[in-house]
Order: sequence, then structure tokens, then C-alpha cells
Amino acid sequence: MSFAFSPENLGKIEKLRSRYPSPKALTLPLLWLVQEQEGYIPGEAFDAIAEITTWSPMDIYKSASFYTMLRFEPAGKYHIKICRSLSCTLCGQAMLYRHLREKLGIKAGETTADGRFTIERVECLGSCGTAPAMQINDIYYEELNTLKLDTILENLP
Amino acid sequence: MSKVKITVDGRVIEADDGALLIEVLLANGVDIPHFCYHEALGPDGNCRMCMVKLQGAKRPQIACDTFVCDGMEVSLKDPEIRTTVQRILELELINHPIDCPTCDQAGECRLQDYYMEYGLYDSSFENYQKIHHAKHTDLGSNVMLDQERCVLCARCTRFTSNITKTNELGIIGRGDEAHVSTMPGKTLDNPYAMNIIDLCPVGALTSRDFRFARRVWFLGSAPSVCHGCDRGCNITIDHDRPKNGTETIYRFRPRKNERINGHFICDAGRLSYREHNENRQLQIIREGQSIGREEALEAFEQMIGSQKRIMILADANLYNEDLRAIKWYAKEIGALLFVPLESYRDESFGDDWLRSSMRAANARGVENMGINREVSGGYDIDVLINFNHPTPHMIAAGEFIEFQTHQSTNADLIFPLAMFSEYGGTLTNRDNITQDCMQAVNPSGMSLSAQEWVKLLPRRS
Ligand code: SF4
Ligand code: SF4
Ligand code: FES
Ligand code: FES
Repeated sequence: MSFAFSPENLGKIEKLRSRYPSPKALTLPLLWLVQEQEGYIPGEAFDAIAEITTWSPMDIYKSASFYTMLRFEPAGKYHIKICRSLSCTLCGQAMLYRHLREKLGIKAGETTADGRFTIERVECLGSCGTAPAMQINDIYYEELNTLKLDTILENLP
Repeated sequence: MSKVKITVDGRVIEADDGALLIEVLLANGVDIPHFCYHEALGPDGNCRMCMVKLQGAKRPQIACDTFVCDGMEVSLKDPEIRTTVQRILELELINHPIDCPTCDQAGECRLQDYYMEYGLYDSSFENYQKIHHAKHTDLGSNVMLDQERCVLCARCTRFTSNITKTNELGIIGRGDEAHVSTMPGKTLDNPYAMNIIDLCPVGALTSRDFRFARRVWFLGSAPSVCHGCDRGCNITIDHDRPKNGTETIYRFRPRKNERINGHFICDAGRLSYREHNENRQLQIIREGQSIGREEALEAFEQMIGSQKRIMILADANLYNEDLRAIKWYAKEIGALLFVPLESYRDESFGDDWLRSSMRAANARGVENMGINREVSGGYDIDVLINFNHPTPHMIAAGEFIEFQTHQSTNADLIFPLAMFSEYGGTLTNRDNITQDCMQAVNPSGMSLSAQEWVKLLPRRS
């Protein structure tokens, strides 16, 4: 397998360069670009980022591994990120998570066999006022309950 | 640099102004706990073990990030410091297995030492389920990782990033999931990799070669010099005689010498200890039969005769003392003496750090003694006497006498030769530094050193 930035992203990288004093500072923006482009960060991307930033591939891998929102394996088509922080816990995220687990037959960190769903438990999504909250890919779903959850999942294309 | 005076628990110590406190303490024999600081790697400030009390400072400070100034008052013995170090240790040990008796590092583990010195507390984690990590990861290059024993001091990763600059290792993840790792699908792969085993202060990194071979407290140690090339890296030879067994060399470890190898040696040199235990020539052999020493020396006398043309070859790994004896003997019996160096040259071995392409420990000694280093022209030789030179067959001779450390040739008469671990002597390295090697074990079988054999050899009648 190999990785290459898309021409569009290469253009973005050129624009980003002028925003930072040194190419080393591009590490996180580039990791995001890779994840946007591929849905996850394949091993080969560390080399590509290392070359642009002048870090070693290991430096990139180390930095990336610090951030739980960066993934090293492809997620399902629908990546469900369910909040497990304080407000959502008080408002019943545990019940939602159990419901999800039973419904999809997978635990957090796993992907369904048909590749449709991945569940991940994340820290505060910044949506405490409308807890419990979750994201599916980049879309927020708030003030959830099990009924609402079922409808959301059923209406996914 | 101007000198200043500091006091450490009442003791006055003189130091360079602005020197790193931990270095001053260690240089003065103060046993300050530390995991991440290492002389060759510098400070990293990550382990927090090197806490000291500084007069006037609000909180305990780490000695590896403190620079000395005149009148500084330092305490390690202060009860507050002892409690702080104990708490840090307790955090360190939350997920650490409590099974030193089954850990190969026991006896040379800093964590074990510090626990005995500062720990000895009752655990606050009675019913706690420890977080588990991978126990036997083969990182490559003979290095095994037991992540559960790791204290995340980053010495190993700093070795690959700052010293070899090969960047194979990193600490991946964070919190209680942090662990040492190679890149996905890659291994630790550089000719100096095994140094991280010595750098690791705990039992996380062990040598696949040595692990569980012997408890370290049984080992005896002798200072010596590696014979892998003419760099002359300083080593410690660790050896022991197991019950009902023979004296065995278990490992070579680097021995610090700032002028030559710093704290490190290459893996090839480190693993060359095996040659001392394997396939050794133990008996005196004539035409396939083992014979006694007297008989052999008589046979030797007959073979060299009175009129024969004799050539002597010698190994460029022999000590200066051996070479001198051989040189003297060659003159006594009117023999030609050569130490052809070309046989030791290996361009693929040399690099721009320690490894040198002249793979003979005493090549420079040979040169200094003015011994012929090339066999030029054709010689008409009746008898060839070889003191372990690796390529004797470059010379055609009627009869062949061999002094050899390993069973290699089928000479007419074979004498067993001791290896450098079996007696003492000096070597001169490529930079003309002459160094001592001490005896670690006794000569095996009937072997003697070259100088001892020379003393016994008959002159011509
Ligand atoms: S493996 Fe050893 S040297 Fe490496 S970080 Fe862990 S404790 Fe330190
Ligand atoms: S560099 Fe040469 S002398 Fe040093 S350890 Fe390696 S082989 Fe031995
Ligand atoms: S705690 Fe769930 S969004 Fe803040
Ligand atoms: S030695 Fe000072 S923090 Fe580790």
C-alpha cells in the first residue's frame, strides 16, 4: 500500500506553509489532512508527513498516537463517537452505549462485519448543554435517548 | 569556568559554576536516584526520581534540571525528599509486576534498588487490577521488550534518536497506555542496537542472547578490550563456572572509556563472546591423534630440523607480549615472520562511528613492532608455523604446524592456543592507545598463550 496526498491537498499544504514559522509545525494540520483524505492514517503517511515536516517518521507516529481522535485503522462508513464525559454520563450515556452495543453487536473500538458502523467512546464533545451527545462522522446528534438513537440509525442511507 | 562551593547534606563539594547538579552529585559519589538521566544521553526530566531539596525553594526540585551556584544548599536525606521519592516510586509501581524473582534484570535493576532504598511501603492499591502490556516483544536485533517492566524513561528511544539517529523507537500512546514501540511493521535494526539493553535501567529490555542464561550475582567480571576490530572498545567480560559445568563466558558489556568508545560497543563486538565458548581446540593433535605435551615438543623439534626454511605467521589479534615473544623466537631459529594484515580487512564492517574495517585488535601493535605485514614475492618454505593467523593456506609449505584457538585447520601438528579472555596482555588500538586486558577465565583444555608456548618451544639443534 502506498500513500500520497491528493493534488488538492498538496495545494492546501502550500497555503498552510506560509502560516507557520517552520515546516515542523505542520505536523498536526497534515495529520488531519491525511485523516480527511483517507478516513484514517495509514502507516505510509508517516513517511510522507516526515518528509514535508523534516521530522523523522517516528516523531510523527509518536505525536499522532497522543491524539485519540486520530485513527490508524479505517473506521466503518458511519463512525459513531459517543461521549462518555461528565455531563453525558449524568444524562445517561452508559445506557445509550449499552443500547448501541446490543443493537450493533460490537464494542467500542470495533467495526461491524459489514463495515457500516464503528463505535468509539470519546471525551467531552463540547455539547454538554444538550447532553447526552454523539457524533456520526462530523454530524452532531444531541439530547439523545434510545428511541431517538434507533430512528437516527434507521434513517442513515 | 569559575569554581563554586555547594553543600550536600552538610558535605561541602566544589563544582564548576553552572554545572548540572545531578552530574556534580554523581561525580562526587552521591547516590542520587535517577532513571532518565544518563551521562551519554543527558537530562530528560521525565522520571522525577532525582528530587532534591534546595534551600530557599518552595518545592522539591529535580537535580537533572538544576544548575549549581555558589552557596547552594542541597539535601537528599531530608524526610520530605524521601517521602517524595517514595511517592514517585509508588506511582511507578502501580502497574509494574511484583515478580522480581522471575525477572532477568533482578540484581542489576535500578527500580529494585530504589525500592529497597526508598520504597518498602504498604501498597495503597489492594484490590487494584493492574493494566497489562505485552510481555515478550521481539523488537529486533536481539532485543526483547517486556513493556510491563518499563518505566518510560525514554533512554532507549533517545539512544535511537540522538545517538544512532536511526529513530526506530518511540514512546507511543499516552497515560497508562504509553509504551515503547517500533514503527508499525518495522524492527529495531542498527549495528549498535543492543546498547539499549545496558541503558535500560530496569528489566524491560533484555538481551535475547543472555536473558535467563545466568543470574547476574553469580557472574565474575574482568575488564578487557574487544577483539572485533582495531578500535579497541573497552569491555567487561562476565563469566562463571556453573555447578558441574565448565568455565563459561556469558556476555561482553561495554565499559566506559571516553577516549575510545564512550559508553557503547557495537553488536558484533558484543556477541563475539560466543567464540570463547564454541568449537575450541583443546588437545594437542598430531596426524589426527591426541598426544601429550612432551611428545609434541619433540615432534616439533624434529619438524623444524636444522636446515629447513621456516616461515612463521602470527595473528594480529595477539597481545603485544605474544608478538614480542614470537618475534624473538623467529629470530632465534632464523625463521621469516609475517603478520599479513590484508586478511583482516573488511570494508563492509567499517562505519563512521566505532566499527573499523581493520578487523584485528592489534594491527597497530604489529605495525609498531616493525613486523612484515605483507607476504610479498614467492618463498620456498619447508615448514610453516602459524600462530592462529586466519589464512595460513596462502603459504604453500611442506609441513604445517598450527597453534590455534579453534578447530579450523588440519595441520600436521596442532597446539591449542588460549584466547584473550584466558590470560592477560596489552593491545595497541588504531589510535596508538595501548590498553590492558585482564584474564577472565582459565585457559581451556591443554591450551596455553602464545608467549607460554614460545617459552617451551625448542631452538634448533
Ligand atoms: S524500555 Fe527501558 S530504557 Fe526504554 S523507556 Fe522503558 S525503561 Fe526506559
Ligand atoms: S567497534 Fe570494533 S572494537 Fe568496538 S565493539 Fe565493535 S568490533 Fe569491538
Ligand atoms: S460531557 Fe458529553 S458533550 Fe460534554
Ligand atoms: S533523572 Fe531527573 S527527572 Fe529523571
